[in-house]
Amino acid sequence: MIRQYTRIVHIISHAVAWLEEGLLCLLLLAMILLSCWQIISRDFFSGGYVWIDPLLRYQVLWVGLLGASLATRKGKHIAIDLASYMATERAKPWIKLAGDIFSTLVAAVLTVAAIIFVRNEVQFSGDPLLAIPSWAWNMIFPLAFGMICIRFLHATLTGLAAMFRAKPTSSDEYGGTP
Amino acid sequence: MLKLITLILALLGTPLFIIISALALLSFHSVDIDISVVIIEMSRLAETPMLLSLPLFIFAGTLLAESNTPKRLLNLSHLLLGWMPGGLAVVSLVVCAVFTAFTGASGVTIFALGGLLFPALIKDHYSERFSLGLITTSGSLGLLFPPSLPLILYGVISGTRIDHLFLAGILPGILMLVLLIVYSMTRSRTGRKNSIRSSRADILAGLKESAWELPLPVIVLGGIYGGIFVVGEAAAVTALYVLVVEVLIYRDISWRELPAIMTKSMMLFGGILVVLAASMATTNFLVDQEVPMRLFDLIRAHITSKYTFLLLLNLFLLIVGSMLDIFSALVLILPLIIPIAEGYDVNMIHLGIIFLTNLQIGYCTPPVGLNLFLASYRFDRQVVELYRATLPFLALLLVALLIITYFPALSLFLVNL
Repeated sequence: MIRQYTRIVHIISHAVAWLEEGLLCLLLLAMILLSCWQIISRDFFSGGYVWIDPLLRYQVLWVGLLGASLATRKGKHIAIDLASYMATERAKPWIKLAGDIFSTLVAAVLTVAAIIFVRNEVQFSGDPLLAIPSWAWNMIFPLAFGMICIRFLHATLTGLAAMFRAKPTSSDEYGGTP
Repeated sequence: MLKLITLILALLGTPLFIIISALALLSFHSVDIDISVVIIEMSRLAETPMLLSLPLFIFAGTLLAESNTPKRLLNLSHLLLGWMPGGLAVVSLVVCAVFTAFTGASGVTIFALGGLLFPALIKDHYSERFSLGLITTSGSLGLLFPPSLPLILYGVISGTRIDHLFLAGILPGILMLVLLIVYSMTRSRTGRKNSIRSSRADILAGLKESAWELPLPVIVLGGIYGGIFVVGEAAAVTALYVLVVEVLIYRDISWRELPAIMTKSMMLFGGILVVLAASMATTNFLVDQEVPMRLFDLIRAHITSKYTFLLLLNLFLLIVGSMLDIFSALVLILPLIIPIAEGYDVNMIHLGIIFLTNLQIGYCTPPVGLNLFLASYRFDRQVVELYRATLPFLALLLVALLIITYFPALSLFLVNL
């Protein structure tokens, strides 16, 4: 039962990460090409599309938030890590567990805040871009924070499982890479 | 109470963006403002004009670090500068500085170049202690040269013009470089004996080998100051250029490796973005509550002179810089310092250079400077050994810091030109 659960979680988490990475690479390439195109069309054809600049601004948000979500998966967030110098080996898993639980909670509240934010955008919508309403462009906030929350939850469960000497759900998740 | 728990967790390695977000959520909630305001503040970050240049420069830097550029750059500098007394040490310093400018001070320099430089320095009869100190210090040496990430980040947070910051960093950066170079020359045991004279053919071959990478600084700076494009666009051009050169021309990086490198660089950017976004919310709350102004009044009651203030700022930032990495320090401390420094009539560009110089030095300051730990990890030495090794370099950098702090003209000369 547990094994089946962990296998499904494993497959889903890999598929989602694969999707996120693919989207990330496409967005980054598009950002590079669009901004270069903007220079060429402005300097040589004194033209350029008005939609490129606002599109680039949304892309930066998407790329950054997707990157942050993946950084959560790999445990690569910026942190002040005094614990690893000072704490004893025995205390470390507990400290990490406390941090993961706290992070899950905060990420959950952020997700709720993001959902409220998007709902308000639907009601009092800003200017649409390329015929797509502004709330859709801002969907990345609830999506990314939701993913971050799920990943911290997963790390929490993995940490708990390890403490009770159960088999960890997967090895390459949060904190898996040094 | 909740805030206290949050702060304790912050010191214990909980991601910084979670901590700052938690503080923002708690603060707004405590004054009965809807929590979605935190997301509104985050979304406003996208309106910062220079934000786009961050992911693009980070991507270009990561790509350069993963390619064979460090090797080629090292080879060429050796051919060009090897004739000087202490040639190799000079080469190391210059190459590290250039490399850090392009990759940001994320420790990449120590890992990418340290492994090549350390054995070479030992072979050239430099003492082990000197070599370790040199490499550890060089890990953050090019921080003030364009297009370094911390300079851009300072511009984004403080709202100062980034092209001005780029100019302002050049002379102070050169000052630090020259001080360290002179010191290294005096420490060369072999003097001119071991220096090499490269033949013209060798130099030509080296130039040819790096022919595609050499124009990079010219593209970045020439483009910006020649008025062809703005900083954000310079980043795009740099990213595209590096992509074409490393993947299509040198083929150092295959198409298969590219997605992994893109993901890696965007994870770094994502990490910075969420910290930045969360701190936008917290900062605005603090400004609303007039915290910086109250801090300023408190400090002004004790310190009247601008120069005493700057000295204390230096001490404070050195401590901060030795505990936090540069991104967290900029995001957390800068918004509080700016209004205070404005009160003392400090030029914002000058403040930026002071700020970054301190953080750069903080990287090598015992007990917990990040470079010390990176070098300890990379070269498998006790951290205490590295404390001793970096001391003379640290002393020289502190001299440079004093000069930079008390001679604003050094930073502002090129800007006012």
